[in-house]
Amino acid sequence: MAQLTAQKRVLHADLHGDRIRAASGSMVAYEGNVDFKNSGMGGGGGMRAALKRAVAGESISLMDCTGHGRVHLAKDAMDVLVVDLGGDTLTVESEHILAHTEHLRLDVQFAGLRGMTSGQGLATTTVTGQGQVAIVSDGPVMALEVAPGQDLVVDPDAYVGSRGQLSMNLVSGVSWKSLVGEGSGEPFSLRFTGHGLVLVQSSER
Amino acid sequence: MTYPPNNPYGGGNPYGGQPQPGYGQPQPGYGQPQPGYGQPQPGYGQPQPGYGQPPYGGQPQPPYGGPPQPSGPPAGVPTTLNVQSLPDDDNVNPYVFCITLNGEWFMSKGAMLAYYGNVQFDAVTEYSSVQAWVGAKFSSPIYVQDWVVAQGHGKVLIGDRGFDLNAYDLDDGNLTIKASNLCAFSPALELKQSIVPGFVTLIGTGKFIASSNGPVIFVEPPFRADPDALLGWADCPSPSVHHDAQWMTQSMLGALSGALGRASGEERQYDFTGKGTILLQSSEVAREDPAVLRLVESQTQLLTNAQAGSLGQRLVARAQQQH
Repeated sequence: MAQLTAQKRVLHADLHGDRIRAASGSMVAYEGNVDFKNSGMGGGGGMRAALKRAVAGESISLMDCTGHGRVHLAKDAMDVLVVDLGGDTLTVESEHILAHTEHLRLDVQFAGLRGMTSGQGLATTTVTGQGQVAIVSDGPVMALEVAPGQDLVVDPDAYVGSRGQLSMNLVSGVSWKSLVGEGSGEPFSLRFTGHGLVLVQSSER
Repeated sequence: MTYPPNNPYGGGNPYGGQPQPGYGQPQPGYGQPQPGYGQPQPGYGQPQPGYGQPPYGGQPQPPYGGPPQPSGPPAGVPTTLNVQSLPDDDNVNPYVFCITLNGEWFMSKGAMLAYYGNVQFDAVTEYSSVQAWVGAKFSSPIYVQDWVVAQGHGKVLIGDRGFDLNAYDLDDGNLTIKASNLCAFSPALELKQSIVPGFVTLIGTGKFIASSNGPVIFVEPPFRADPDALLGWADCPSPSVHHDAQWMTQSMLGALSGALGRASGEERQYDFTGKGTILLQSSEVAREDPAVLRLVESQTQLLTNAQAGSLGQRLVARAQQQH
């Protein structure tokens, strides 16, 4: 079973004859015998996912890494975090996915209006199954807990992903008056309710 | 889960050595000599134990756990934070600060990352029509468009481009800081525009949060600073501009050819004299400050029409050169 280990801004992937998928062009070095091959459209999620991606504009470009050895992956010197999934679902912006192990399924979930504010596409990616996902973030990720009575509001640009039974709505923190002319700078935010974790990065770029 | 409220990293002081009361929460009273500042701080610049290393929090984290990993807890998994475990007016990590909001705070547009609770963000211009005191506290028309008033109760997380964030406590003092590095300040303080373009001065007693690209370096005058690396200064008289002597000689000789062309980028410094503290950041990367344009534009009123015309021509030529 391939093992992903994060070390600050580099991800180490140990391959034992199996396969991982990684963001195209993210390999910085490797040891051993590893083959790199483009996964084709849809990030390997099959034709249906490819179609949905095309419609949603949630772009993702992954490559297959197979063989024996250790691959070092990195993206724009961003911090790396490995999330272990045990059959549950992680929702994450596709641009934050660095790599994932073999038996995970990537799909597209339509997120409604949210994409309009952040320019990150109208849809978001879900990762389901048993395995590991490596995500990158601008600065370390904070996991903020959402519980009933503890709603969390997040800047769309700082939002990385979420996990658990959460529902997300778009909120406007400003009165309609200030939308005309100067905005408040936080014109739209994402409000999370329910029970789960929201991953937030430390930069609002 | 219980966490020590002021130690979001779990065990150990993340910044190395001895417990520094409030990394980033410098010192009451800027003017006095500060033990520890000006000399290298232990822990800065060296690998930070406890950061990005395994047991971040110690305990297994239910939502992240999944099946227990044979190789121990996965590296770098962040501690789960919630309203209770977020620190009170302190850094969550070097790049994120948590403000416990109970009333109002001024915040730079876009600094908010996330918040819990009931918080309303209003443009300063909008808010001042409701609350007249805002105009007295925020005395800078140039910057007013870039600021919001956060109002309500809750915990607000702020960040700035992933830069290091530090909180500063002013005790009946004054501190001038690069406007694009100021993230938030308490309305107990008064903001005024500095005479030096691109800088604002905070006066009074209260807390503010500023970002720096790399750790902040504190020095005492007499000192010359590169304008890009200069973050701010406290208690010093305003700096004068110092030009490299050799460059001055050359540009006086070549004055006819237009001195602007022969810049190495390092011939101009800000010169500080007198008593006080100067704050530097360890990088020179500057952010485009939209207010500087407004500031310069407002000063063109000093020009006669003919002068303004020739300035316009020079600016057009410069814009064309850069393409």
